[in-house]
Amino acid sequence: MSKPKIGMFGMTGCAGEQIIIPNCEDELMDILKVLDIRSFRTATSKNDEKCDLDLAFVEGAVVQPEEDVFLKGIRKRSRLLIALGTCAVWGGVAAMKNEVSRQRLKDIVCGSPGRIFKSISAQPLYSFVKVDFSISGCPIEKEQFLQAASSLVHGDIPVLPKYAVCTECKINENTCLLVEKGELCLGPITLAGCNARCLGYGIACSGCRGPVKEANIASEVEILKEKGFTLGDINNQLRTFAEPAETIQTHLAKRRR
Amino acid sequence: MQKTVVVDHLCRVEGHGGINVAIENVKIAKVEMDIFEGARFLEASVVGRLYHEVPPILSRICAICSAVHTVASLMAVEDAFDAEPSTQTQLLRELLVQGGNIESHALHLFCLAFPDFLECSSAFALTKDYPQEVKIGLGLEKLGNTIQETVGGWAVHPVNVVLGGFGTVPSKTTLLRLKEQLTKALEGAIAAVGTVARLRIPDFCQSPTLYAALGSSSEEYSLFGDKVVFSNGESRKVSSYKEICSETVVPHSHAKHSHFKGLPFMVGALARVMLNGHKLDSEAKKAKEKLGLGRFTENILLNNSAQAIEIVYSIKRCIQIIDQLLKRRIRNEKLVEIRPKAGQGTPAVEAPRGTLYRSYAFDNEGRITKADVITPTAQNLANLEKNFRALLNCLVDEQQETLQAKLEMVARAYDPCISCSVH
Repeated sequence: MSKPKIGMFGMTGCAGEQIIIPNCEDELMDILKVLDIRSFRTATSKNDEKCDLDLAFVEGAVVQPEEDVFLKGIRKRSRLLIALGTCAVWGGVAAMKNEVSRQRLKDIVCGSPGRIFKSISAQPLYSFVKVDFSISGCPIEKEQFLQAASSLVHGDIPVLPKYAVCTECKINENTCLLVEKGELCLGPITLAGCNARCLGYGIACSGCRGPVKEANIASEVEILKEKGFTLGDINNQLRTFAEPAETIQTHLAKRRR
Repeated sequence: MQKTVVVDHLCRVEGHGGINVAIENVKIAKVEMDIFEGARFLEASVVGRLYHEVPPILSRICAICSAVHTVASLMAVEDAFDAEPSTQTQLLRELLVQGGNIESHALHLFCLAFPDFLECSSAFALTKDYPQEVKIGLGLEKLGNTIQETVGGWAVHPVNVVLGGFGTVPSKTTLLRLKEQLTKALEGAIAAVGTVARLRIPDFCQSPTLYAALGSSSEEYSLFGDKVVFSNGESRKVSSYKEICSETVVPHSHAKHSHFKGLPFMVGALARVMLNGHKLDSEAKKAKEKLGLGRFTENILLNNSAQAIEIVYSIKRCIQIIDQLLKRRIRNEKLVEIRPKAGQGTPAVEAPRGTLYRSYAFDNEGRITKADVITPTAQNLANLEKNFRALLNCLVDEQQETLQAKLEMVARAYDPCISCSVH
């Protein structure tokens, strides 16, 4: 069997997903044995930018028109396209102020001499192309990447948790920071897979993995309001990592009415 | 006669950038480090957020140097509110920052820069002819990540380090195990210095260079300090950061450029070794001598060698910190109370690529009104273009491919972190 042809690509982000590959220090040599890495600009200067790919892993959000074109080019040559990390899956931190115009944000950062470079509201990959599979996380968990990549290479659909961080946290028998300590914890509405990492250290969930499917945002918001948080601060936290997500958009739109 | 070199996408660096150079009639017509990384406008995005929400968001500026971004951010908030973290917290934070320095330098040196000197396309390709070297490099990178996981709770975007202290402090047993790994890794780091010493590092990139790094009255080499020292003898308080990095927006880059008194300058491992190298001791001092950095140099390709020296330094420093933490009987402490008030905090920390500035202003509710982040890669861009010019002046007759390889080699020697530079 010939090795599957792989591409690793980045839109706009912190490179936290691409760095997972060199961070697989112990597994790297084995990865190289089974994968034919054709394009990975961050790691190699020998890239084939035209060949067909079996798997394209794409990190980052789309924040400029050139990236839309680049992404569509990747889609065209790839059998499967995998969104890697919260920016690619949900827009990430670049999208948290999408309600403010890009020009306004640019003025704050660059002042009046700011170059007239084009910038568009940060969007996840699915706004532009068909995404076959998503691995969220800010950054992604290394083990999940290895597990998912190995399934994909063998032609299987990876199995990743579909429940909330709250479930993992309960299994780990942590003290509930939301109910017992009244902290702004997004564990009940955030997609699991991190083994409730932050909560294990006694830190509330910030929602960095994006919302779980059918998240009950309304109920979460009610609990947080009862705990004394203002709707403004709750919405800010909801917007931080996954502003474009439909469940969050629906909640924000309802409140605007 | 016209000659152009266009690198659409510079490979083996973090982020998205290219190089555009044009020579017309033996004169340099254009020299641009084109930074086309998307702008996230994160400084503007956090305005209005509560003080404790800011560090985790602005950590996302960069994955590779997220530890130092987080620590600098926490220092800025605490500085603004006059909160003083405990000595134990400061030691643990430094341990985290040193871990990040090891990880980042190892990744750059072995996976990104080495191929330039061994005429190879990537670290993947190196595994064939230099398996031992790649193994040592990955081992050191793993060590840096283990430190960050142990102290920060995650190798990228640390979650356990918070305002006023730590979520959970690492146990004595964990630290002892880490010390064991560090002691073992020191051998690997020294072997890495030997490998770097055997590389033939060319000297085509020499030009008068102004170095800048944090300085302090301490006798020890450090990544922390309250003033910035320059190689021309000048120094400034960190709070004068706007004068140190007088920033301008340039048309060909999404990242701003910095100049001090109208001059470009260089920050990073080489600048630190040039300015504070006399404070290095034992194995790191030996490494410095071995790699020929005992004397002043303006060959910026030696930034790679300076990173090898700093890996040795950081490992030794981590062992020292762990010894101090154990001697102090490390324990879980109550978080230092943070009382928000209107104010401003402006600290700087040496990130792997150079001085990282943070300046946050808050209103009396503790909401951030202004966030200013100046990253080392942004500071280095003007100097990098100056190096490009010097190189082109010397090598104007070279073939296009040779020129391109050399321009890329110089850019990579800076270990640019382009996501950081634009943020």
